[in-house]
Amino acid sequence: MDPARIAIILGMGLVTFLIRAVPQLFFAGRSFPEAFERYLRYLSYALISSIISTNLFLAGPRFEGAAAPHRALALAVAVLVASWTGQPLLGMVIGTLLAQTLPWLGVTW
Amino acid sequence: MSFSSPFRAGVRAAVPIWIAYISTSFTLGIAANAYGLHLGEIVLMSASVFAAPAQFAALEPLASGKPALQIFLVTFLINLRFLVMSAALAPYFGRVKRSTLLLSSHLISISTFILPYVHFQKQSSELAEAERIEERGKDNFHYFLGLAATSFSVWVVGTGVGYWAALHVPSGFEEGLKFLLPGYFACILTAELKGKSALLIVMASFLAAVPGALLNTDWGWLVAALAIGTVGWGIEEWIQRGSR
Repeated sequence: MDPARIAIILGMGLVTFLIRAVPQLFFAGRSFPEAFERYLRYLSYALISSIISTNLFLAGPRFEGAAAPHRALALAVAVLVASWTGQPLLGMVIGTLLAQTLPWLGVTW
Repeated sequence: MSFSSPFRAGVRAAVPIWIAYISTSFTLGIAANAYGLHLGEIVLMSASVFAAPAQFAALEPLASGKPALQIFLVTFLINLRFLVMSAALAPYFGRVKRSTLLLSSHLISISTFILPYVHFQKQSSELAEAERIEERGKDNFHYFLGLAATSFSVWVVGTGVGYWAALHVPSGFEEGLKFLLPGYFACILTAELKGKSALLIVMASFLAAVPGALLNTDWGWLVAALAIGTVGWGIEEWIQRGSR
């Protein structure tokens, strides 16, 4: 195991623990303004969708243009299935199968 | 050794969470393997972080050696939601030692928050005046512990099993493995999204992330996401104030 990675993982654990533990000491029973809660939600939405995009289309600093259409289609189908059925896991499984099989089928754009 | 009745009730209530966790933790283990992390590293991450979105988000930056500060910042921002959840749960644990509460707060996740919170709220609305929430603090805490501790165990073990399973996937499945992480995030996000503003923020961040990352590999996408989230929220607040 890489010691630098272990240190980062433990740091992530500490950061997360502090977020969870601090309210038990200082904010017990306190409700936050609705606008603040919404802001936190929007920030996490923005971060997560950015992570989706960069993980899907980039390999390190390089844009994977040839694979991008397959992956974008698989993502669109996954999202539609998850949205229609209300089952995120089903959407992910179908999207993954599609992402895997489209290149095998030799579909080109 | 016998477990209290609230603890057992919590364990029973956790079964749907276990089912969800088995599949998600399994996926995390597979994705961690695809990114070249060691088994011990991903299991340690599951045990010390116990937060799926932040863990998934950390895989690529960890694998590619991105700055630690960036990983901590993303972890902090994604997990900031726990602040609200932890504060909301705390009053239901009256008369439980603070040190115990501090340690057990590690078990708060989105799933292990929602079920107990709804349970406690329903219970408090049914309680007689004399039997105040505070007096039920220990029972509530045992219920939470039964639910959260078992879910946590499923999460950690599931990650390891998923990683082990990925070792047996033959080569040629790289595209599918690469899709797992963004696919998981996108489908979870779809289930959670409410309102046009949220949808616009998601779409804008999705589109801006790649150009942002190409401009600056380490920080570009992160700055773009923070800017879009903040501006989107600010515009919505401004419109809402104008209409009041």
